[in-house]
Amino acid sequence: MLDGSALWYLSRATGVVTVVLFTVVFCLGVITAGRRRPQGHAATIVMGVHRWLSLGMLVFLAVHIITAIVDGYVSISWLAVVLPFVSDYQPLLVGLGTLAVDLLIVVMVTSYLRHRIPERIWRGLHWVSYAMWLVAIVHGFMMGTADQPGLRLTTLACGVIGGAAVVWRTIVTHADRDRRELINAQEWS
Amino acid sequence: MTELAQLLEDAGLTGRGGAAFPTAIKIRAAIEKRARLIVNVCDGELGAAKDGWIVEHHLDELLDGVRLVAGISPHTRFAAHRGSATAARLAAAGLPVLETPDRYVSSEETSLISLAHGGQARPMTKRTPFVYGGRDPQGRRVKPTVVLNAETLWRISQINQHGAQWFRSFGTQAEPGPRLVAIGGYVARPGVYESAAGTPLAEVIALAGGMTQDVRHLGIGGLGGIVMTAAEARYAIWDTPGMKIYGGSIGPGIITIWNPAEDPVDTVNRMLNYGAAESAGQCGPCMFGLPALAEDWRRYVDLPSGTSARRLTDRVALLNGRGACAHPMGVARFATSALRVLEPELTGRAVGRRYLEGATRG
Amino acid sequence: MASSLDVAKIAVDRVRCTGHGICAQTLPDSITLDEWGYPIVTDDQADPDEAKLAVKLCPARALYLR
Repeated sequence: MLDGSALWYLSRATGVVTVVLFTVVFCLGVITAGRRRPQGHAATIVMGVHRWLSLGMLVFLAVHIITAIVDGYVSISWLAVVLPFVSDYQPLLVGLGTLAVDLLIVVMVTSYLRHRIPERIWRGLHWVSYAMWLVAIVHGFMMGTADQPGLRLTTLACGVIGGAAVVWRTIVTHADRDRRELINAQEWS
Repeated sequence: MTELAQLLEDAGLTGRGGAAFPTAIKIRAAIEKRARLIVNVCDGELGAAKDGWIVEHHLDELLDGVRLVAGISPHTRFAAHRGSATAARLAAAGLPVLETPDRYVSSEETSLISLAHGGQARPMTKRTPFVYGGRDPQGRRVKPTVVLNAETLWRISQINQHGAQWFRSFGTQAEPGPRLVAIGGYVARPGVYESAAGTPLAEVIALAGGMTQDVRHLGIGGLGGIVMTAAEARYAIWDTPGMKIYGGSIGPGIITIWNPAEDPVDTVNRMLNYGAAESAGQCGPCMFGLPALAEDWRRYVDLPSGTSARRLTDRVALLNGRGACAHPMGVARFATSALRVLEPELTGRAVGRRYLEGATRG
Repeated sequence: MASSLDVAKIAVDRVRCTGHGICAQTLPDSITLDEWGYPIVTDDQADPDEAKLAVKLCPARALYLR
């Protein structure tokens, strides 16, 4: 049995890995949404990794959450896994992590059911990913222990990379979308 | 109600909007699903006029047909272009008008269904026929809805009154019944006339005064149809097999005699540009393919050659069956017929131009 | 004759398709792309497992089985 401080370090480590994997999944999703012309197999790889890595990430997230609760080093209740801002320890910052988990559940469930629910519902709820990612980054950065600058820098780098992806998506032009928007603006009803 | 479907099957009535789908099958599904009825009175194709003509001259019989199929319920709608004389006539008669924007693809049946459900008058993908209900592109539920052309409903009333045998005394075995035809353009008396499949095309055109000697080209079926030469028209038969020889069909019943004073190449140019501008901007192959087709036609006209002709035919092949509606396919069909009919003339012009250039240089 | 279980019939919802091109990469024997990246279905019969994967991977949810 691992003692409390080992679990605490495991929780830190898996937390950072989750942030890194999440940022990769997030960026691949942003790239798919704003992509240019299809080239080679890139689009398929991007989409495949986006889907499968999002599942792989769950393993690290689960370890991160469980170890944070059972280590006994700080007091976080099981309720705090799903109910934000009820943790005894750092209620606000732990709560942000909880919020990200709640949003993640929404996004994962709707994506799992995607072929059975109306497209606009999936699409609308998938936008939540942007908020979820930001909340997770803030949670990771603010809770990265001060004596572990490496973890903090990693989270910061993820924030910069993800932010750059979002900026890229807002400035990138795409012929399909442009033409659709142009004609959609005409009188059709 | 099922008796009506049987009667229509015996009569062999097909949809008069252009697609010529057996009406009995549609009616059976509509009754089974309690589908809402949209009467298409848009005359949406270029040169179309018969739907408005029915409202003007045979509204009572049209309404009788509507009653037979669905009853005049609050859900029954009469689709007509906003601001048109037909819309005004329908409104004056106290009928519920589905005001449709005056866009080429807006009178397509799935566009009307979308509009009736509060959406835009743009075509929807038919994964299954909407008479069974379905979903719009955003995934919203679409109630079972059937769209029938005004002439189809008028014929239903007539068949109910006079019987299937009477109906079959017109037309051919394969395409029975009287059918309206709108004859327009360079004729003495443009208008809507009664015709029947199997009649010589020249006889049909004679109803409107006939083709004068100087006529060189005419269109059958508007933008979704074909162009043919006057010489061909003098021997052609007005039915689907007869029109198929030239790549067309009897379609929505439109004959347009092209004015010989106008350059047919310009007419084709204008129509292809119109077709490109009327894309609903929903399907990639249409919203990019139709402008590219118009551009390929201009290039071909500028320099007719095997290469530029092949570009055009390759483009046409990429428009077939790659849209939610038949618009790209219809324009492709029109361009194919234009290429066939105008090729000799354009090649001649190119030779003439080279000759003239040679002469000025010499 | 192959039974209907051996092949899947693929179709593209043209309104939804925005030209990601993933279907052509996943089903190269059935789909090629035009100059704008929109799919050209050259053969609508495909291996069911590959077709199902392609349907899952389509970001626009435009590819479907009939």
